Amino acid sequence: MNWTLALPEIVLACCGMAILLIGVLQKRDTFHLCSMLTVGAFLITAELVVSGSPGLGYNGLFTVDTFSTFVKLLVLVAATLGVILSLDYNEHANLRRFEFPVLMLYSTVGMLVMASASNLMSLYLGLELQSLSIYVLAAFARDELRSSEAGLKYFVLGSLASGLLLYGVSLVYGFSGTMEFARLAQALSNPAHVSPGLTVGVVFVIAGLAFKISAVPFHMWTPDVYEGAPTPVTAFLSTAPKVAAIALLMRVMATPFGHLLVQWQQVIILVSILSMLLGALGAIGQRNIKRLMAYSSIGHMGYALIGLAAGSEAGLRGVLIYMLTYVFMSAGTFACILAMRRRGRMLEQISDLAGLSRTDPGLALAFAIFMFSMAGIPPFTGFFGKYFIFTSAVQSGLWTLAVIGVLTSVVGAFYYIRIIKVIYFDAGGAEFDHCPASLSVVAAAGALFTTFFFVLPAPFIAAADAAAKALLL
Amino acid sequence: MLFAVAVFAPLFGSAIAGLFGKAIGDRAAQAVSILCMLLASACGVTAFVQLVYLGGSPGVVSLGTWVQAGSFHVDWALRYDALSAVMVAMVTTVATLIHIYSLGYMSHDATRWRFFSYLSLFSFAMLMLVTGDNLLQLFFGWEGVGLASYLLIGYWYDRPAACAAAIKAFLVNRIGDLGFALGIALVFFTFGSIDLSTIFAGVPQHQADTYTLFGTSWRAYEVIGTLLFIGAMGKSAQLGLHVWLPDAMEGPTPVSALIHAATMVTAGVFLMARFSPVMEYAPYALAFVTFIGASTALFAATVGCVQNDIKRVIAYSTCSQLGYMFIAAGVGAYQASMFHLLTHAFFKALLFLAAGSVIHAMSDEQDIRRMGGIWKKIPITYGVFWVGSLALAGIYPFAGFYSKDAILEAAYAAHTGIGTYGFWCGLIAAFLTAFYSWRLIILTFHGKPRADAHTMAHVHESPAVMTIPLILLAVGATVTGFTFYEPLTGPNWTQFWGHSIQLAAGNNVLETLHHVPDWVELSPSLVGIAGILLAYLYYVAAPRLPVLVAGHFPPVYRFLLNKWYFDELYDAVLVRPSFALARVLWKVGDATIIDGVPNGLAALTAGGSAQVVKLQTGSIAVYAFAMLIGVVVLSLLVLLLLVVR
Amino acid sequence: MAVDLFHYLFVAAMLLVMGIFGIFLNRKNVIVILMSIELILLAANLNLVAFSASLDDLVGQVFVMFTLTVAAAEAAIGLAIVVIYFRNRGSIQVEDVNLMKG
Repeated sequence: MNWTLALPEIVLACCGMAILLIGVLQKRDTFHLCSMLTVGAFLITAELVVSGSPGLGYNGLFTVDTFSTFVKLLVLVAATLGVILSLDYNEHANLRRFEFPVLMLYSTVGMLVMASASNLMSLYLGLELQSLSIYVLAAFARDELRSSEAGLKYFVLGSLASGLLLYGVSLVYGFSGTMEFARLAQALSNPAHVSPGLTVGVVFVIAGLAFKISAVPFHMWTPDVYEGAPTPVTAFLSTAPKVAAIALLMRVMATPFGHLLVQWQQVIILVSILSMLLGALGAIGQRNIKRLMAYSSIGHMGYALIGLAAGSEAGLRGVLIYMLTYVFMSAGTFACILAMRRRGRMLEQISDLAGLSRTDPGLALAFAIFMFSMAGIPPFTGFFGKYFIFTSAVQSGLWTLAVIGVLTSVVGAFYYIRIIKVIYFDAGGAEFDHCPASLSVVAAAGALFTTFFFVLPAPFIAAADAAAKALLL
Repeated sequence: MLFAVAVFAPLFGSAIAGLFGKAIGDRAAQAVSILCMLLASACGVTAFVQLVYLGGSPGVVSLGTWVQAGSFHVDWALRYDALSAVMVAMVTTVATLIHIYSLGYMSHDATRWRFFSYLSLFSFAMLMLVTGDNLLQLFFGWEGVGLASYLLIGYWYDRPAACAAAIKAFLVNRIGDLGFALGIALVFFTFGSIDLSTIFAGVPQHQADTYTLFGTSWRAYEVIGTLLFIGAMGKSAQLGLHVWLPDAMEGPTPVSALIHAATMVTAGVFLMARFSPVMEYAPYALAFVTFIGASTALFAATVGCVQNDIKRVIAYSTCSQLGYMFIAAGVGAYQASMFHLLTHAFFKALLFLAAGSVIHAMSDEQDIRRMGGIWKKIPITYGVFWVGSLALAGIYPFAGFYSKDAILEAAYAAHTGIGTYGFWCGLIAAFLTAFYSWRLIILTFHGKPRADAHTMAHVHESPAVMTIPLILLAVGATVTGFTFYEPLTGPNWTQFWGHSIQLAAGNNVLETLHHVPDWVELSPSLVGIAGILLAYLYYVAAPRLPVLVAGHFPPVYRFLLNKWYFDELYDAVLVRPSFALARVLWKVGDATIIDGVPNGLAALTAGGSAQVVKLQTGSIAVYAFAMLIGVVVLSLLVLLLLVVR
Repeated sequence: MAVDLFHYLFVAAMLLVMGIFGIFLNRKNVIVILMSIELILLAANLNLVAFSASLDDLVGQVFVMFTLTVAAAEAAIGLAIVVIYFRNRGSIQVEDVNLMKG
């Protein structure tokens, strides 16, 4: 048995335990040290992911291919950005506890397992490992009511979702006789002989995963949790787990249930349309920027699902590119949001941004870049993500989806550009506190990637292409 | 490798100065960008010498794949041949001198880091343009130049005139760019690629291609050539699209020097030379090129004679000299046009920077009617101004003499109707050029001081950091002529240019231009001297004469003073009708029809938004219920589909 | 009457429905929600064991072992979150959990 396939995950988990030990045994404050060690562990893991060789191991539980490599690297990048984003906030918000990065680390282990899952069992375990850590993170600000409420809501609804997923898994298992993706694909190769019980099982599985990417109608937790959770957790929540969950959804839909395209395609189309509409509509009236980001992420997931609904290689490639661009936009935006602090107090209202262009032009520019990109305006990355998604939809004949996507983008552009208007044209408040280096780095990295992606997109597109090919065999 | 360094060093300098300029301070930002430019020019000149004199082989420096979509493949690659090497060497050298000059000229400015960052960005964009190995990359540089010029012309953004000029430059360039973009699209359509090598290799196969438009068919090469030339007209400020160039004077003087000498305006000429393999097979497009070039040369020269702003006079002379370059390109003497481009880069940068030095000395006065009598106080500036003007007027042995002669001889030697038109226009323009150049010298430096005493008391020679670049450029304006005359336009031009310029089989303009009648060879010098004498007569010997002449022919004078009423024409024909149309569309179309629909939709959206938000009650029970409903509905949907099938 | 696969599935489905309804009909207490979640997991476990037996395949039962472990962890985390919520709010009434909305 080739156990080295899971070497990155094993190493990362062991690093997590070591960091936990260091944190417990040291008497002094170790938040910073543990965070740095976590980042180091992520880098080592990324190196192991890159150098890993493809293959199927652990009796079909675990697979490594170009797809999993792409997703894992993206997840690790997102998680690293998440840890860096938390450094400064946690110092100020009195959350400087070493468990924080360790929880992020274990959540990331779960995501890596999700990326490699090739069996319903490993799928479930990876998902749970990822979610359980995040439940705790959401409630991490123990003394704050909003944070604990966010944790409670996320936990209750998340458990319900994973319960549904598990039930769906049991149905799929029962009606097909296997949990392995490869054998499921064989068993379901003739869509005509598929029992209703199995299709219902598939819907339950989709529901469980749709919850994790906060697609409508399983999205209701998103605005509340985004608002209540400590902002670095929200930043983390909006990037890495989304990537892992949508990657898992892609793999499940493409590999074991690939032959059932006609059955699940309609489901995904419906979910996608609802998500795009709700994301666009819900965000309009928001005053809290974290809540706005929640609706925005719902909308973005709707766009990403278009690519999945297309069910073609181009569509899957589009989703991967979309997620790549989304991670950098989203992390960068949250870096900007985290920089919104005046005299030690965090600000969350959009109106607090007024006059930012005069008090901090650099931050204002970064914010504007991310907002333009999210609205899908060229030459920023957001445009490329949408471009690949929409073309794949058109190629697959899904005109409705493409049209609705474009229309909701227009509505979306309205509220993104409204933020830019507040930043650049509204009469301003006082200056923000000095922006710490950690946030500047993330914002700059995000902005540079977002702005200059068009200079050399070919390698990223080629990587996404290879990853999508691996999925469709 | 050297070549890549030459292209990317300015970008690096620009990025450092632009991103960290505030943090590291003006001095450091200036130092970084100038060091980068020095490095770039060293590499650029070395690359040029290696290729042309040390027998280096041309090639392509590949930097990676850019876009790969189906059959459409574009690389990031630098084309390394004589044409791009000579442009890179020229651009980096002149730009470096302008950077150094700006150290002194901009020393009182508040945001110098921003200025240097833009300046380097501009140089980079131009280098990208000239080294582009495919049309998309060329277009990238093309637009980059447009963007950087917008930023630089509008550098003093608190002056309304500067903002208006920047917008004008940007808009007028867009018109040209539209032509260029269409040209690129047609090239891709015809050749199936936008890679230069592929295009040039495919030229013989597509000779007979035609496009059908509105029932008439056009030869593909003619259409492509014309469209590309329209792009060139925008950038190179040719008649019709020239209106932005004089206004671009609103930028700081080093910017004018950069725009008019080394970069931007030469892009169009370069494009013609770059596309010589295609243009050669588009005789009608070439005739059009010559026609526009000749008309521009004459037009701008006449206008230059009556302008009173020192920078505007030089600006119109640029316009006119660019016309010369297009005359040469149009009759198939691309080598001569590139030669003039090269010499012009030096003497025009020299003239602009010297004008900047004058303005600097005169406490920011630009009107030559309020100058005069300062030549003894600023001897170096005065000296180099003479050198520049001699070169511009084409007096032996200065650079302009060789290149202008070559162009006029080529136009004559073409023996076509349009060539003859070009020759005569060019000849008259040469006379006028000499006239207004000496008018400028005499009014600026000689005579009685016409400025107030306070200004005159402050007249002083510029610091060394400004004069040294001037002297270096003056050397360039003197020696580039006779050094490059033989290799660039001599019978053995292929040794220099290699395959970067390709001529059609029947094109032997370059041989015949050496065998034109003596009077043709002598005439440019003669009319030049005549122009100088006339200027002397007008402004020194009989200073009442100009007033008399202007008084006798007031319509002519006003016609020239108002630049042939081009701005007014555009205002009446284009701007005001568009405003009127826009007002109608706004009142009727927008306010009632278009606004009506979106306002309705917006109300709908807002209503939808309120509904959506209302669902979000914050209650766990409702959230869980929504999930349940979701699962049930989706399951029913799937089951229904299963039944239907 | 013999007990066959169908009966197991029916009981499991009942448990699932009870669990889900327990979450959104319950107005009283967050603890009840935790119990409902356990019910849902139980339903799935029952399904898995029943299928495992009927398919004569051990994978389902192995999975149940994992699920039980996960359920235990989930319960622990859930209770911990409820405790900190109670400390902040002073109540675990379900209808009180609506500080954030819109």
